[in-house]
Order: sequence, then structure tokens, then C-alpha cells
Amino acid sequence: MPTELKTTGWDFVTTKVDKRAIQHQNPEDPREHLKELEEKGEVTVIHMTEENRPITVETLLGRSKRIPTNKLWHHKSCGQCGNIPGYPTSIMWFMNRLGLEYLDETHQTSCTAWNYHGSGTSNLVALAAVAVRNWHRAYETGYYPLIHCGTSFGNYKEIRNLLVEHQELRDEVRRIMNKVGRDLVIPEEIVHYSEWLHVLRKEVAAMKIYDVSHVVATVHPACHVWKMIPEDVIYDGSIYGGERPAPTTAILLELGAQVRDYSTWYDCCGFGFRHILTEREFSRSFSLERKIKVMVEEAQSDVAITQDTGCTTTLDKNQWIGKAHGYDYELPVMADVQFAALLAGADPYKVAQLQWHTAGWEKLLDKIGIDWRTSKQQYESYLEELKAGKAPDQLYPLPMV
Amino acid sequence: MNPTETHLKLDPDEVGIQDAESLLHAIQSDVRYHEAIHGCLNCGVCSGSCPSHRFFDYSPRIVVQTLLSGDAEAVKGMMDEYIWACAQCYTCAMRCPLHNSPGGLVMIMREVAVWRGMEAVHRLLKPYGRVLLKVLSIGNQLTPDMIQPDFFPDWGPKIPWSSTDLAIKRQAIPVYTLQVTNSAWRVSPETSYELYTIYEETGVFRLIEQIDPNLYEVVADMVEELRESVEEARAR
Repeated sequence: MPTELKTTGWDFVTTKVDKRAIQHQNPEDPREHLKELEEKGEVTVIHMTEENRPITVETLLGRSKRIPTNKLWHHKSCGQCGNIPGYPTSIMWFMNRLGLEYLDETHQTSCTAWNYHGSGTSNLVALAAVAVRNWHRAYETGYYPLIHCGTSFGNYKEIRNLLVEHQELRDEVRRIMNKVGRDLVIPEEIVHYSEWLHVLRKEVAAMKIYDVSHVVATVHPACHVWKMIPEDVIYDGSIYGGERPAPTTAILLELGAQVRDYSTWYDCCGFGFRHILTEREFSRSFSLERKIKVMVEEAQSDVAITQDTGCTTTLDKNQWIGKAHGYDYELPVMADVQFAALLAGADPYKVAQLQWHTAGWEKLLDKIGIDWRTSKQQYESYLEELKAGKAPDQLYPLPMV
Repeated sequence: MNPTETHLKLDPDEVGIQDAESLLHAIQSDVRYHEAIHGCLNCGVCSGSCPSHRFFDYSPRIVVQTLLSGDAEAVKGMMDEYIWACAQCYTCAMRCPLHNSPGGLVMIMREVAVWRGMEAVHRLLKPYGRVLLKVLSIGNQLTPDMIQPDFFPDWGPKIPWSSTDLAIKRQAIPVYTLQVTNSAWRVSPETSYELYTIYEETGVFRLIEQIDPNLYEVVADMVEELRESVEEARAR
């Protein structure tokens, strides 16, 4: 090889390729930098207090993460509230049962990241400003933000890291926040509801009134929960040998279900952000071929358990169309917290709101021994009462208007 | 390009500028770019685990390689259709031994494609109008009244149930904020008011005006109406 080519080739390798050393270095911990920024008076950090009753867990790189369990501000998910309402309802139902304090209110927007990932019609500053506005609203109420959606969780962790790294981003977001009468605040931890459920799994499982030792569950972990900023995700040596995230699987084991592995566990669900709306042949092909079919044929699963909005929708809604190609699986799909609520005696219609799900779940409830037929009758009567003008039941007292 | 020259957001005055070198510069000067690309061994781990690679002519490895090559025309060629196949799952980012984020690079490229008004974007975003209207007006992206059998015939025979007597069925959810049909939850007017300021200050409204003037007209009317009512309420 000519010397000149050798030299330029090596230059190319060292400048463009040979950054392999970074794989031996752990990513920096943004929380350390956040602490420094706070000490310099650059940002206000939303800290957990004793009232939040945090529980400490271990994440992927052996770092500690504190998960607040009480006095929580519900950062709701638009996809959950819009089309899987039993998801947030089950979370709040458990908080009532556990006697925990929370705030669910109207001064919240979504993270807007679904639209961003799908269409690109936003930008980093807009995403960061939306995140900080929601965080600041939680901060001024004195409640700690609990993020319901996996995409909001992943997105907010990215935004937190970028805010910590880039002063120009902090300055620009602060300028915008000042225009709306707010300030730049950053939570000490970004916390997903599945982490909250995970740290309270023993208390939740203690409420169980049904045996599910004969029920086979397969878990679909949400990409934006564990693949975005993976070093922040909870791992536990007793779950999958510590090689996969612990939340969701751990609560199912605590509840006594059989959790079975399947070969496409790592795959995404096929949601795709824009695909679920505009490239639906991809979403349904992927969810059927790579998830539902494998969960049923390999694991003989009775139920697919999820931990995020888009995955629940994609895996549930795309099963019916599969019949056209001979896929006749009818695998019930629901979130971990809905499944746990059912086992703790929550009404399948009024609390778990399974009537909005499209894949049949009735056989699963029969297998568990849950009398859904009576619940259905009660629900239909309740709808008639509401039509006649009855005030709706609420999980919490109505806000003062 | 000076590697230290970065930007937080794209310049709305550059809408319509589509020469390849300028597009590449806009991508490479994004503040996130150098955190998303560190080199590439061509190992293919990203493509091997990519859901879109399985179903489309799309490979995250090719996205990274093309950007590293600096071939501006090739990068521009990918922005038209190729990168829109990415499912944004970030499996590639988690698995890359060099800590690249091909999914993150795709987002930077999509943003540039939209902000520069590339032709394919108009076609790709057309079915997105309903979502954009919701996200711009109330900051929600999916609402109960969007789940209609006409739009989701492939979701099966239970969908008509979901859209019938919707207001009553939403009232039967025992969570006050969810007892609405045109929003995932009740959003206070003050919150929308603040959101509009964010969209205005970050150029999002101006962007929508450029890429979909009809949609912007509808949004602008809603913004004006809400602002008036909030300001009246504040004055009281």
C-alpha cells in the first residue's frame, strides 16, 4: 500500500472511525452535572422530599435511582387517556387503595414527542420548553411528576440530558419560560409509572384476590422506556439474570403469573409513530409477525403485558385484520397496571375499562375466574343512568371551579 | 464546516433552500449531531435489529455511512423518502458499539427536510393533518373522537362501539379530567395559552404556516379566539 494512502487511511480511521474507546467508558451521569449547575445557581432542581417517600433501586450501570411513591403529579399520556382509559384509571385506583396522595389536573400538555418523532414538525427548543413547562407546573403545585407514557419518559430523559449539557439551550428555554411566567426547573429524576409500580410490587401483590399461577404472560417492554438513555433503566439480578430490565416482569412474578420468554422479546411493537397512522401495513405486519404470533406459538401466551401507550394500542388493535391472512390469535393485550388491578379486584369495565380493547379478553378473565358478565351488566346500567342525568362517579374529589 | 458551529433550531428564513450542501450543513451543525455519530465500523448491528430494515428498503447503517461520507447529494436523496421508513424505536442507538444514534440522526434529517419544505414532506404529512391540529391547539396528539371506523376500518368490529355514545362512555371513566371527547384530557385555556407562546417563540407556528397554510389558518383562528378569552378572563 502506498505510504500516502496508508497515512490518509489512518487519518480517516482515527478521525472518523476509531472512537471505539468510548464503549469502554460509561456515559457521564447527568445528575452529577445537574447538581453542579444547581450549586452554581444556574437551575432549580425539583427534589424529592420525605413526603414523596422515595425508594432506591439500581439501574443498568449499578447507579442508584430514587423512585418517589407518594404525592405525585400525574403527567398523563395522550394515547392512554385517548384510547386506553383503563390505563391511567388503574394507576389512580391503586393510589387510592394504597392511601397515596396525588394530583390529576388540567394544567398539563402532552410531551408532543409522538408528533415530533412521526412528523418532524417541531424542534429541540420547542420540545424542551414543553417539557419544562410541565415540570414547572408540577413544581409549583408541590407534587413530584410521574410520567405515564414511555415516549414522554424517554423524551424527557433526553431533554434533561441536553439541558444539562448545553447552556445555550438552558438560556433559550429560560427566556421562553419567563415569557409565560415560569422558570427553568429540572427534576432530580425522571420517573416512569412502571418504576413506581415496580418498587411497590409487594404492596400491590398483597392485594391480589385471584390465583394466576396457571396463566401464562408474555412481556413486551417498550422501546422508549428501556432503549432511550438505557443507563437510567432499573435492572435487578434476580430478573432475567440482570440482563434485561426488571419493571413489569417483576410485578408479574410477584403476582404469581407464569412469565414466559419468547425469541422476539427485544423487538419493537411496530408502532413507528407515523406508521401507526399512515403506514399501517407495516405496523400490523410487524406486530403480528414479530410479536403476537411468536408470543402465542412459542410461549402459548394467555396475555401480552405492556408498559406503554403505543405498544398497547399497536399489539391490541392490529390483531383483527390478521384474520384476513389466517392469523386468528385473539391474544388479550393490557398494561401491567391493568392486569394487577384486575387481580386486586378492580372492576374490568369501570376501572380496567377493558371494553375499549379490541382483542378478546373475556376468555382470559374466565380462566382467572373474574365475573366480567355481571360487570358488563352493571356497566350498561350505569351508562343508562348517566344518560338519564346521573352525575358520574369519580376516583377523587372534583376540583373547585 | 467549523465543527464548533452549532445551532439549536433551524432558521425559518431558510425555508425553501434545498441545495444539497446547505441541507448537509444544516444537519451537521445541529447541536445534537456530534452526540449521535461517532464513526462506523460497518458491523451492521443496527440494521440487523432494525424493524424497518425488515420491511422496507431502509438501513440505519446506510444512514450513518452516507452522513460520514459527506456526500451531500446522497444525503439529500435519502431525505426525500428513505429516512421516513425509520420507526424511531432507537434499538439501533441502544445496540451500536460506538454509541451512534441512527434514529437520532434520522430525526435531525426529518426536521431539516420539514423546515426546508422538501417536496416529499408535503405528501408525507398530508394524512397527519388531524394530529397536527390537535397537537397545535391543545397539546394532545390523540383524542377519543379521532377513533372512528372510517379512519380505522382495519381495527375491527369493536371500533364502531368506541365511537357511539362517546360522551356518555367517557363520562363513565371515573377520572374527571378524562370525561371529554375532543381531547385526551381536559386542558385548561391557560395551559393552551402558554403552549401557543412556546410555539410562537420556537418558530413552530411559522413552520406550519409555510408547510400547510390551510391548517395554519384554522389554527390561527383558534389561537386568536383562545387568547382573547384568556385575556378577558385575566382582566376580570
